[in-house]
Amino acid sequence: MTQVSSTRPIVSVRDLGMVFPVPGGQTVALQDANLEIMPGEFISLIGPSGCGKTTLLRLMADLVRPTSGSLSVNGETPDAARQKRAYGYVFQAPALMDWRNVLSNVKLPLEVMNLPREGRDARAREMLKLVGLEKFERSYPWQLSGGMQQRVSIARALAFDPPLLFMDEPFGALDEITRENLNLELLRLWRETGKTVVFVTHSISEAVFLSTRVVVMTARPGKIEGVVNIDLPHPRGEDSREDPRFFQYATEIRELLKKGHA
Amino acid sequence: MTTAAPDSPLAAAPASRSRRASNAGPMLAVAALALLLYWPVMLLANRGVAQRALDSGADLGCKTALACATQLRNPVIPAPGQFLEGFRALTIPPTAPTSAPYNMLVTGGETLLGLSLASLLGLILATLLVRSRSFERATLPWLIASQTVPIVAIAPMLAVLLGQYGVQGFLPKAIIAAYIAFFPVAIGMAQGLRSPDPLQLDLMRTYRASPGQVFGLLRLPASLPYLFTSLKVAATAALVGSIVAEISTISFSGLGKMLAENSRASDTVALWVIMVYSAVLGIALVALIGWLEKGVTRWRPAR
Amino acid sequence: MATRAVSLPVAGPRPTLGVALLTVATLGLLGLCVLLARLAQSSAQAPVAGWPWLLGVAALFVVGAAGVRQVAQGESRAAKIVPAAAALVLFLLSAEALLRAYNVPTGLIPTPTHIAQALWAARTVLLLDAYYTFVLEALLGFVIGALLGLALALLAVRFRFLERGVLPYAALLSSVPIVALAPVVIKAVGLGWSSKTVIVAITVLFPVVINAVHGLQSASPLYLDLMHSYAASPVQTFREVRWPAALPFIFTALRVSSTLALINAIVAEFFGTEGHGLGFRIQIEVGRFGLDIVWAAIVVASVIGITFYLLIQLLEQRTLHRRV
Repeated sequence: MTQVSSTRPIVSVRDLGMVFPVPGGQTVALQDANLEIMPGEFISLIGPSGCGKTTLLRLMADLVRPTSGSLSVNGETPDAARQKRAYGYVFQAPALMDWRNVLSNVKLPLEVMNLPREGRDARAREMLKLVGLEKFERSYPWQLSGGMQQRVSIARALAFDPPLLFMDEPFGALDEITRENLNLELLRLWRETGKTVVFVTHSISEAVFLSTRVVVMTARPGKIEGVVNIDLPHPRGEDSREDPRFFQYATEIRELLKKGHA
Repeated sequence: MTTAAPDSPLAAAPASRSRRASNAGPMLAVAALALLLYWPVMLLANRGVAQRALDSGADLGCKTALACATQLRNPVIPAPGQFLEGFRALTIPPTAPTSAPYNMLVTGGETLLGLSLASLLGLILATLLVRSRSFERATLPWLIASQTVPIVAIAPMLAVLLGQYGVQGFLPKAIIAAYIAFFPVAIGMAQGLRSPDPLQLDLMRTYRASPGQVFGLLRLPASLPYLFTSLKVAATAALVGSIVAEISTISFSGLGKMLAENSRASDTVALWVIMVYSAVLGIALVALIGWLEKGVTRWRPAR
Repeated sequence: MATRAVSLPVAGPRPTLGVALLTVATLGLLGLCVLLARLAQSSAQAPVAGWPWLLGVAALFVVGAAGVRQVAQGESRAAKIVPAAAALVLFLLSAEALLRAYNVPTGLIPTPTHIAQALWAARTVLLLDAYYTFVLEALLGFVIGALLGLALALLAVRFRFLERGVLPYAALLSSVPIVALAPVVIKAVGLGWSSKTVIVAITVLFPVVINAVHGLQSASPLYLDLMHSYAASPVQTFREVRWPAALPFIFTALRVSSTLALINAIVAEFFGTEGHGLGFRIQIEVGRFGLDIVWAAIVVASVIGITFYLLIQLLEQRTLHRRV
């Protein structure tokens, strides 16, 4: 029951490679990666550290340039997609600006992009409501918990309504309980907004719970080991975690990870 | 004391703890102890001078060295009565051109003007340092070296030079204060302009922000705490600069002029009074910057 | 806010071009200086300078700056060192040429060569001055102040009352301008060098106390708990946890104080000496318009200041086993 509605992929990765020099040689961060992501999908990239999952995401976001292969985002080069502000990016850390309050942090992209001044406050408040933080718009980042800060940064990424949402281990630094709450909230956001999400994680259960497809990657050299379709019904809730198929998928991913490790 | 080293761990963490309320008791106790010790220390310090004066046959209007210790014209440490008298003489009326409060304001004004100039210069220099790597490589070693150089030593000469080229009055002292203060400000600001998280820079890149936007929305606000930390260090240095400048030029007002005059006249009581006023000015300047900091960087947790 | 130093297209590092540009600029400026010196010698009337001189020097300086820009590209060792050295040479040569071209009286702004001559001519006096100012006043005061500061910090950490009663005053007093303290101390201790030693010690004391207390308290609670679980004695806890944690802070204070010590010794000398010291020399010679000697004294003070700072930094690196 993946939500593939269109036949044209929104992200398409062909033979993508990324090599960077290190003292005394070079490291292959990513090798021959091939992947197509359809609009409305929720894709997770999972793997051990050094498998190139973050590199792949940063390549899509035009934060680094590939050394081989080609890549299209929203039907264009990553650079052109970035110029057209086709995606919102959520980092490992909230990366909020200490000197801006919550509302003003969410407004930041709207200011940078010179969107009409009148609409900014309303739009930012709408996004804060979406992540359940409308009561905290006057607070400063240091007054919020880690989970709340990360919710602000999600609101910020959605503020300018990009079709794509790139998330790089956004909940990696949070405790398990907060993380599961935010997982539920993220799924709700995904259903309500219809965005395409590319999500980097190193948690198998998180990947299975959230995704329509999980891309399993392995390290040295970083490459795609396999792709697992997660055929669990939507909307998912806490009970989805008890579905027998949940364990099957988790085991399947674990086997793929082991295969790369051997 | 905040430290001035550009790479010091303290400069990177401008926060300081304040526990003033709970410190009031011990602070008062220490102050009381100091007051109690003042009298015997004063007698001890002055007795030798008094003895020598008596031995040389001077008529001090008192018999023993100990009795005379409180009545010397030029005591090592003034007696409380002399201190109060000196304060009165130098403070009232406060608007007279010879009064210490008036001169304190003059010196304070020069220093503040100097600090403003220093902030402007420091910002420009820091921007250049952050923007151009060749500029940084050509000048940064010398800027850092200049922090270890006794820049104050140049002040007397600079004062004479500026006088030769017709820069007079308020301005030369402010320029010297600025000259002394702008290096720490520039180094601090450069550190601040570089302080944004790589993630925040990436974020601005995903927004396709222009270099101007990255500077105005990210680098400049991020550097403000660093600006104030370095300004606090610079304030004391700038104050020393303006006082030295006042001593080395033909000044008609300022604490430096009062220090020079009373040093020549060996008026120890006046020197003590001026010292207290200078201390008040130094503390007030740092407090003023702290107050400005609080107002400008309101986003930070209350300390 | 973008500021371009020199708008020369840089297409990858071109060190050869940079060296060529630098050579042209250096030789050009050097030639100008020699020419000006010859002109001044040959005609009794000094050459009247006009804008062509300024233009020439400025052009050569820009050529040199472009050279620096080329040389500064890349990550090689040379790319990190050469630009700074080249900038200094360019600056000195340009100053020399301009001062000579415009016939600025040596009494007002001496040229770099005049300063070098004065430095050599007055070397014995300056070395004796440096001995007084640095060894007797700055260094001795620094050692006394640092030791006292450490002792006070240990007491303050041991006795909470002292920390709360004395430390706030220390923080307050560190913003007092040293020049105001100097006359009083000199009146009390005398005109000899020891009064300056006292002043330096007082100024070193405050940063050391504040940073040392801060450092001693910066020990991570985890390590303290660990030592507690070992039933370690207070002395062991101090030696293994508190002292190592404090060392970086103490060294920061020492590094800052090393420059403060020299600066304050010089400033204190402005208020009375027995005729020795770099500060005394500067003050006396400024009054006589002997600015070449003043500059020479400043050069001596700078070299000592930088050396002292680097020595402390070296000690820090050796002690902490890391690059600072």
